Amino acid sequence: MKNTIAITAKNISKTFHITEDSHNTVKHRLFNIFNPPRQKMVEAIKMVSLEIRRGECIGLLGRNGCGKSTLVKLLAGVFPSDTGYLTINGSTMLMNIGVGMSHELTARENIYVSSSLLGLKIKEVDAIFDEIVDFAELREFVDTKIKFFSSGMVARLAFSIAVKAGADIMFLDEIFAVGDMKFQEKAIKVFESSWIQGKTVVLVSHSMDVIKKYCQRAGFMKNGEMKFFGDTDTAIQLYLEDNQ
Amino acid sequence: MSVIKDWTGRSNKLERIWLLAKIEFKLRYYENKLGLFWALLKPIMDICIYYIVFKIVLKSDVPSFASFLFIGLIIWNFFVESTSGTIQILSSKKYLYEYTNMNKLEIYISTLLSNSIGFFFNFFMFLVFYNYFEKESVGLAAENVWILALFVNLFILSLGVSLLLSNIYIIAKDITQIWLVFTTFLFFLSPIFFNLRTFKDALPSFDYGNPLAGIIINARRVMMEGKGPDMVLLTWDFGYAIFLLLAGLVSLSKLGSKAAEKL
Repeated sequence: MKNTIAITAKNISKTFHITEDSHNTVKHRLFNIFNPPRQKMVEAIKMVSLEIRRGECIGLLGRNGCGKSTLVKLLAGVFPSDTGYLTINGSTMLMNIGVGMSHELTARENIYVSSSLLGLKIKEVDAIFDEIVDFAELREFVDTKIKFFSSGMVARLAFSIAVKAGADIMFLDEIFAVGDMKFQEKAIKVFESSWIQGKTVVLVSHSMDVIKKYCQRAGFMKNGEMKFFGDTDTAIQLYLEDNQ
Repeated sequence: MSVIKDWTGRSNKLERIWLLAKIEFKLRYYENKLGLFWALLKPIMDICIYYIVFKIVLKSDVPSFASFLFIGLIIWNFFVESTSGTIQILSSKKYLYEYTNMNKLEIYISTLLSNSIGFFFNFFMFLVFYNYFEKESVGLAAENVWILALFVNLFILSLGVSLLLSNIYIIAKDITQIWLVFTTFLFFLSPIFFNLRTFKDALPSFDYGNPLAGIIINARRVMMEGKGPDMVLLTWDFGYAIFLLLAGLVSLSKLGSKAAEKL
């Protein structure tokens, strides 16, 4: 049973402490020892519990600022949770417009580093290297530092690495906005044809069509709370009602 | 402990650490015309300065003074590069952990491995210099092998301090300036350019209080005096290194977990 679960989250929460003054130096802390900074508490996620099975595609819905992106970062293991416990079985990758790549490295180096981070061995990266470069349409620029790339080229490269290498659990935050129209069509085609099958995916999107098409289950969030988690149609219905 | 448990559970981690170390090394040394000789240039320039000041002007009586400086400075430079040079590592390498659940400890180990390549290149140059150009050289000896244990000691010590500093950086950005002052202080409290007798007379038992002093003293014993290391000193230094590493791992677990949101 344990092997079929990708993520288990029990009562996870996240509160951000936002200070008005910058108390981030030793000097400032010492000089203001009797004058602690005024803190504003922002409860981004309130006691969320969920379980995601391997191979499942889960949708996350909610209006801007409801905590979707924070929840995704908690589930991906990027942010630590303040309460409860979280078990992640496998490597995770969070994808949105800006994906983790060093602008000081070339496309080739970034492909190796990112794929390695996703759990691939060097020989496995060698085998898919050409496919990644061709899919990203960056053959001529493979040994160019990506700081010289346009933002679209960087996004294409990141998407291609994710498509070909892929982590055990993928978090996709509005990824269908990547690249130009031609690339988007290609990306959607690949996504539909093979990529999504057998992968554990958490999809964040404002597009009801996308969520309805790919997700077996979906969650609806409001003010940091998971108001509903289950049937996709119900989650969409709740989201639409919330928008009225 | 969860940090170590998680780290050992990944299958391609060693390959990944080596890949990151190679890229780091390439970025540092192969993006300029002098390449790897940049790594050698700093100790050579330091040796020239201290040689002129202490041997020519102040008439220091230390035998094989250039080699004496050489071995002391390459150990010192490794420590400084691995500590001062990594204070902002969680900020500069954020791209590695911002979008994945990668274990941050790998970032540190790969950076220190990259520094180790530079260290061993310089160490090789020291061996060549000491054995072929130093007039008062005692030559190679079986005791030289102890340098590996001393390097492991230095590596653990540097890793521990690096972890502590870079995690404190998350909550106190001016740790960079504070550490700069501290390293200047430490530099003069380590027997890098004055002889051991002067050092021990002026600061009794301080070789036991400064882990870096112990490593430098033992490195000279095994490389230049044909003796084994001072075992008591070695044990103390390993104790310091392991203590600092544990403290560093705790800081990584407590403070480092918040790096993605704070930096």
